[in-house]
Amino acid sequence: MLAVQIFVLLVLVLALGAWIACFPYPSPLVRHWLPPRKRWPERQIRGWLKTGRFDRGFLAYFYRDPERVAPSGTGVLAPADGLVTSADVRDGIRYLVIALSFWDMHVQSSPLAGRVVSVTAHGEDFMDGEGRDFAFLREKSCPVQKRMVIQTHEGTLAVRLITSVAARRIETWVEEGDQVERGQRIGRILLGSTVVLELPAATVLRVQVGERVRAGETVVAEASRAS
Amino acid sequence: MSEFFWVSRHLGWGIFSLLVFTALWLLLTDLVWRLKDIRVRRLLAMMAAGWAVGAVLVVAGFCLLKG
Repeated sequence: MLAVQIFVLLVLVLALGAWIACFPYPSPLVRHWLPPRKRWPERQIRGWLKTGRFDRGFLAYFYRDPERVAPSGTGVLAPADGLVTSADVRDGIRYLVIALSFWDMHVQSSPLAGRVVSVTAHGEDFMDGEGRDFAFLREKSCPVQKRMVIQTHEGTLAVRLITSVAARRIETWVEEGDQVERGQRIGRILLGSTVVLELPAATVLRVQVGERVRAGETVVAEASRAS
Repeated sequence: MSEFFWVSRHLGWGIFSLLVFTALWLLLTDLVWRLKDIRVRRLLAMMAAGWAVGAVLVVAGFCLLKG
């Protein structure tokens, strides 16, 4: 009987030890019951970014790629999961900026069906070319990005995947000349944080700043034939 | 009452229950703190009161069973 009691107490001591070792972050024992934002707090993720050592469970969650079902119609779909932070018009282009958090799905999708006109990459010298006029670029200490221009029946639009020079990893899964379906996966930002959808200024927006959108599912604008 | 702490070559069920309850209560407190948007002071007061009630129930239960 004493052995059973010692075993039970030992299990509890180990559980408490894990709790103390992980504090203030959640111990592995309670993680399962927590929503993602509390399971992996931002401070902890930022710590992993510095050391380069990530929790496996977090990485599996971060790299998830769920199936999304595009709604019927011709509405322009959100290219990424995240929060709409601005939708300013500049030189005839509406820049719909979607900020991704660490807990958002990081696979991007095509807003409409069409043909990929170009896929361009901008490296560390990007600032020299386009400057820091855009707020979504000023926010990054050293932005790098890939820009995909897609010709659709409703006009030309572009999707920019932006990350910082520290992360620097953007995958694009389409090439110039490829045909893409509405909602098709087009790329992924690895540890990036911003996706910008460039639309014709005349486009009627269906979302507001502060709204959360889901890639390939949320209609963010009604297609306009002006390009 | 000595049986509370030790009884025939194993820990008394009273102290054993109290230790198990205390450890589980600590882990539960941590979980509640993470799940609920609550002030730490208020949480600690609540959980301390809960622990006291639980501890009294454990001791009372032990006394009743041994009574």
